[in-house]
Amino acid sequence: MTYHRPTCLDDAVALLQCAPVEVIAGGTDWYPARGDRPVTSDILDITRVDGLRGIRAAPDGWWIGAATTWTDILRAPLPPDFDALKAAACEVGSIQIQNAGTVAGNLCNASPAADGVPPLLVLEAEVELASATGQRRLPLAAFLTGVRQTALQPGEMMAGLWIRKPAPGRAAFVKLGARRYLVISIAMVAVWLRLDGSLIAEIRIAVGACSPTSVRLTALEAALTGCRVADCATRFHADHFVPLAPITDMRADAPYRADAVQALIARAITEAAL
Amino acid sequence: MTIEINNQPYDLPDDARISLLDFMRERLELFGSKKGCNQGACGACTVLVDGERILSCLALAAQYDGRSVTTIEGVANGDELHPLQALFVENEGMQCGYCTPGQIMSGIALKSELERGAPSNVSADLTVAPRMSRDEIKERLSGNLCRCGAHNGIIDAVAAYVGGEEQ
Repeated sequence: MTYHRPTCLDDAVALLQCAPVEVIAGGTDWYPARGDRPVTSDILDITRVDGLRGIRAAPDGWWIGAATTWTDILRAPLPPDFDALKAAACEVGSIQIQNAGTVAGNLCNASPAADGVPPLLVLEAEVELASATGQRRLPLAAFLTGVRQTALQPGEMMAGLWIRKPAPGRAAFVKLGARRYLVISIAMVAVWLRLDGSLIAEIRIAVGACSPTSVRLTALEAALTGCRVADCATRFHADHFVPLAPITDMRADAPYRADAVQALIARAITEAAL
Repeated sequence: MTIEINNQPYDLPDDARISLLDFMRERLELFGSKKGCNQGACGACTVLVDGERILSCLALAAQYDGRSVTTIEGVANGDELHPLQALFVENEGMQCGYCTPGQIMSGIALKSELERGAPSNVSADLTVAPRMSRDEIKERLSGNLCRCGAHNGIIDAVAAYVGGEEQ
């Protein structure tokens, strides 16, 4: 096997054209996912590709490069719309993992329990995919196609994320795990909202670890728009949660997940509205 | 390709598959960093890279070409213990000692993170520098497990090292 560490994106995508190659950045998911299987394919390390690490503000939004770590997110001066993403950034693994692991890697790994996904869904993030033939953008929801499955085509890699500037709002992220630290989520919720006095003018709600990929609950969002913050929980209806398909696994059973999600949403709304 | 470990340069291995932890333990005979879980859950392999803590079991050695790594072997000044090592002894911050190198490397990183004002999951506000507290220390040591349960002594040692207000 060969270890490649290109310093420009053109070289990186050119390497993707050749033999099968595994793209790594922080490596924090790549290593444990291997188990005892030997490394046989070439490795493409993108951490030194020029321009791929960091957050840039543009007039219409923000760019988060694919080699940007969780710690980079936490330390960046970002508006309150990003509070859910920042909250996720300091709950992913341990600080040692946050220093190495990247947001883009979290998305490409495509775990149903990826903590980065719900906060980015409520920001309506788009992913930028690069290949030797050019670049394309996809909404994050379209990028994640299933359990550990993405829309990445052979020869493509994630170059970064785009977040369009929303009307100024606030956001919160609530994660439920079996213990306080270092756990894979049983369920987690991100909420972004904009208030008009005590009323909800606009709200976006995304739930993770309760379906093959994290999902927005658009029917619930519609039902809560115009509602008083304090009344939100009384408006919940079973129909609003149809997009969720929680499973029973070693971390929790399905009915518990379904029940917990409603409490987490109510909590996240309250926190975001504070 | 070379890597600096405890201020000493080393050639990186030709085989790029080796993790930073295995490289240090199996090739350089630096046995201070421990292999607990080898999957990023226990923190026993914590080292500093240019002052920031990472897990050496989840890192390819090759990725750290040209960077400066500090391990537990590199923190004392000759026979003189690093202040945090001395505080671990004083506060009995260990029982079997297996997790101790990782705990100490995390404690050293934790102090500089707090001094830089980096928030954590228990900080009241993610946009302002956090107040030093026992909760902040516990949160920031949560990536280092101690199966003997010596946490109280560990937290006492790190709190004394970090200084500031006790809560």
